[in-house]
Amino acid sequence: MKASRTALIAIVVTAIGALFAFGLLRGNPDDRNITSNLLGRPAPGFTLPLYERYWPDYGETFSLQEHVGQPLVVNFWASWCLPCYDEAPILQQAWQTYGPQGVQFVGIQTQDRDKRDEGRTFIARFNLGFPNVLDNDSLVGVDWALYGVPETFFVDASGKVVAKHIGPVTAAVLDQQLGALLR
Amino acid sequence: MRRLAVLLIAAVLAAAPFAGAQDVQIGSRAFDISRNLRCPVCTSESVADSSAEIAQQMRGLIQEKIEEGLSDAQIYAFFQERYGDWILLDPPKRGVHLLVWLLPVLIGAAAVVVVVSMTRRWLAASARTEPVSQADLDRVRAALAGAAAGPDGPGTGDESSEDG
Amino acid sequence: MFELQLGPLGGASVFLAFGLALYGAVAGVIGAARRDARLQTSARLAAVAGFILATAAVVVMQAALLTNDFSVSYVAGHSRIASPTWVKVVTMWAALEGSILLWAWLLTGYTALLAVTAPLSPLRPYAISIMQAVQVFFLGVLAFIANPFKVVPLPPLDGPGPNELLQNHWMMAVHPLLMYLGFVGLTVPFAYAMAALITRRPGTEWMAQTRRWTLTGWGFLSGAIVAGGWWSYEVLGWGGYWAWDPVENVSFMPWLTATAFIHSVQVQERRRMLKPWNVLLIVATFSLSILGTFLTRSGVVSSVHAFGNGPVGPAFLVFFLLVTLAAFGLLAMRWDDVKDRADLDSVVSREGSFLGVNILFVTLTAAVLLGTLFPLIVEALTGDKVTVGAPFFDQTTLPLWMLVLLLMGIGPLLPWRRAEQQRLSRNLALLAAAFVVSGALAWLLGVHKVYPALTVALAGYNLMSLYLLLSGALAPRLRLANRGALQVIRSYAVESRRRVGSMIVHFAVVIIALGVAFSSGYRVDEQIRLDFGGSAEFSGYTLTAVDRFMERTPARISAGAVIEVTRGGKPVTTLRPRLNLFGEAGRTVPTPAVYYTATHDLYLNLNSSVGPDTTFVVLRVVKSPLVTWIWLGGAILLLGTVYSLGGGRRTVPARAVAGEKREGAPA
Repeated sequence: MKASRTALIAIVVTAIGALFAFGLLRGNPDDRNITSNLLGRPAPGFTLPLYERYWPDYGETFSLQEHVGQPLVVNFWASWCLPCYDEAPILQQAWQTYGPQGVQFVGIQTQDRDKRDEGRTFIARFNLGFPNVLDNDSLVGVDWALYGVPETFFVDASGKVVAKHIGPVTAAVLDQQLGALLR
Repeated sequence: MRRLAVLLIAAVLAAAPFAGAQDVQIGSRAFDISRNLRCPVCTSESVADSSAEIAQQMRGLIQEKIEEGLSDAQIYAFFQERYGDWILLDPPKRGVHLLVWLLPVLIGAAAVVVVVSMTRRWLAASARTEPVSQADLDRVRAALAGAAAGPDGPGTGDESSEDG
Repeated sequence: MFELQLGPLGGASVFLAFGLALYGAVAGVIGAARRDARLQTSARLAAVAGFILATAAVVVMQAALLTNDFSVSYVAGHSRIASPTWVKVVTMWAALEGSILLWAWLLTGYTALLAVTAPLSPLRPYAISIMQAVQVFFLGVLAFIANPFKVVPLPPLDGPGPNELLQNHWMMAVHPLLMYLGFVGLTVPFAYAMAALITRRPGTEWMAQTRRWTLTGWGFLSGAIVAGGWWSYEVLGWGGYWAWDPVENVSFMPWLTATAFIHSVQVQERRRMLKPWNVLLIVATFSLSILGTFLTRSGVVSSVHAFGNGPVGPAFLVFFLLVTLAAFGLLAMRWDDVKDRADLDSVVSREGSFLGVNILFVTLTAAVLLGTLFPLIVEALTGDKVTVGAPFFDQTTLPLWMLVLLLMGIGPLLPWRRAEQQRLSRNLALLAAAFVVSGALAWLLGVHKVYPALTVALAGYNLMSLYLLLSGALAPRLRLANRGALQVIRSYAVESRRRVGSMIVHFAVVIIALGVAFSSGYRVDEQIRLDFGGSAEFSGYTLTAVDRFMERTPARISAGAVIEVTRGGKPVTTLRPRLNLFGEAGRTVPTPAVYYTATHDLYLNLNSSVGPDTTFVVLRVVKSPLVTWIWLGGAILLLGTVYSLGGGRRTVPARAVAGEKREGAPA
């Protein structure tokens, strides 16, 4: 009787300890590594105003719907977001590699209301060749169920979202996802 | 000089977190709904409580949906379709969430069962105490009748008990 | 030239205090086991010396803060030259290391007080040793893990200052202090309970000796929770005071178990029942306060007020597990000594109602704990991220709160052992009448929401209960006494401090319940846009944006709007919601302006920036009824607690004192 009580206490305390040890080891409870509801579903469409430097190639607005049929990389960023500065040159490099192979990249500045000047500075700083738009109301971000910036979505040629990357994207992630999309 | 200082202050404060503030009017119903939605970019704050830009935009969006005539349920569904159950601060009563709703009820029920079973034992223990003779009983009754006229007389519980 | 360096001085004090705590913990236990009075005395002296050293560390920290000595790491990390003096003083508990210093200091203070004032008993040496063992942990964390006295080799010219939200309101000076006073106060009954188990004396001795400590700790914790709510209300800008954030929950759970404890011990005092249960409750209270610190300092759960990851979290986890294991292990070992041989005459009795109190508060604690940890549990088991938010806690706890109110009214009216049928029926009829009448009145006056209406009904019922208690106690005294009514009432209030104190506290709970029910049930939130010079209507008020303003103090820059509030054309007040900026590198904090009235509050918060060229402001406007009642109720509750503590020690019958003397026990 006494032994079983002691054993019970030991088991319960161990279980609690294991739970909190998991909590300590898992890292930030606020990382948003949450499976997106969008995966496997058609990408939410949008038409947003482009920054001026893209007008000659794309016109004044960019519509996702017009690009269904080719693989898409949709990247959300903001001018105040530090990791976005890390990933911008990587995206630009990937655009130079995969753009010619038929992949369309689009950058969406979001949660950054009326920050057009900051947006232009950001784009100029990394000389981003792929089109960038401003989601002034952040509502496209809501449609894409954004948790924060940066987040990057991969859309296949049929217009379905196939993958989502949270946090700054790396060359390896881009190569892997786009390799699969182009195969 | 002073003017310069004021301008400086103004510049600093104008860069406050409200660059994206919505200048729309938002009603109580929108706030009530947004109190049940989790702000996607915050740490455990509701859309109603957060001052994050996305939370402000979402409040505006909810107001728009209300003006379009959507019901509360339709608005929740709108966000749930995009963000999944994660966005609902009020956990839906199904799936894994069912557990969080049921467990407190089960714990409460278990507490009641434990206390009732113990109470039964105690009541039995009390009933088992040594039998009292009729003479003793009469003496006690007489003594009680005398005590009833004491300062702690009828009306309340045990007055002499000093509990905090 | 010799220059005094504050960092090493403070560090040395902490280190010495740590050594003394270690010595005291060991010497006290050995001294008690060998019945060596000199060793026991040396442990007590170590407790006093430890307090002096910890006080020295606190004085050094204050000196460093007030003289802007940025060579001390904590000052460099959390203070700022321009802050006003009061902010510098409270900066000590505005961040992690400093708040552990405060906690440790209060703990040494309580231990020293215990060492000096606690009556001689077989429990005392063990209890003091356990307090010192807890000190070993806190001082050890300070000395080895989170040392606030590290020397900064190249001191900065100025520091960043404390968290903006904390320096934005004076309540922040009060809230943590009360919280730690509460936690530390409740460590005393815990230490005595453990001592009672060690010495196999699980009777009422340990709780009789710690009754004041328990009540003091509970009072401080209650005050801390109310103060924390008020701080949220005045600072966070969303018009509420309680968000069921994990940080709030973890301070609330020890309060719940402590509340169960102060009720439940009475059953043991009077009826010698529930011995193991009371030990369990006080162990839970203590370990939940450690668990809470772990949860908020480790970033394990998602919280608005979470503090960064650090080595302090794991230390608290290990301590929590050790405490839990040791306390429950000890209880299991001593089970045969503590086991109840109780009997119960009737469930309809005072002890019966206390059993109900236990069920309710344990279920409340379980619901809050489960809701707080559920996301972590699910993630550990399935990897999914789930959300449990305020609506869950509201829906699960509200019915329980209603039952608490129900029990609070009937419980004190029941006598110990068994209620007499006739008197019980009369009381129940009056209570039911009060319930129905006040509920119906509320309904007729337009309170059609379930919980607010129910709360009004229960408030009427509880007021009737208080009336019955008072009249029942006073009527016979008045009838028999040959003195004036006032004198009789006064002498009753002095004689029955505990009982009158509990009535005051229960009255305060009714006031708070009404405040919470109405402010959450009938709150109106709006966001409105006001052009300068323009007006808008809100809930019977007219708000006019008259002007902008900017002001600058050495510590902060503020900008805001001047909003004139009128009602029916008559001026009511002028409110100045503002944005505060503490230091150029800081973050801007919107600071609401509140118009307090007895029936409702008008709460304005800026939701837009203010600059020289702004032409309009966006305001979050909240009107919530009866919020003030919560703060008022909190004050009454503290008053009741203090009242029941006051008036010197309980008079000990002269015979008992003489008896003690004869046995030669020094006081």
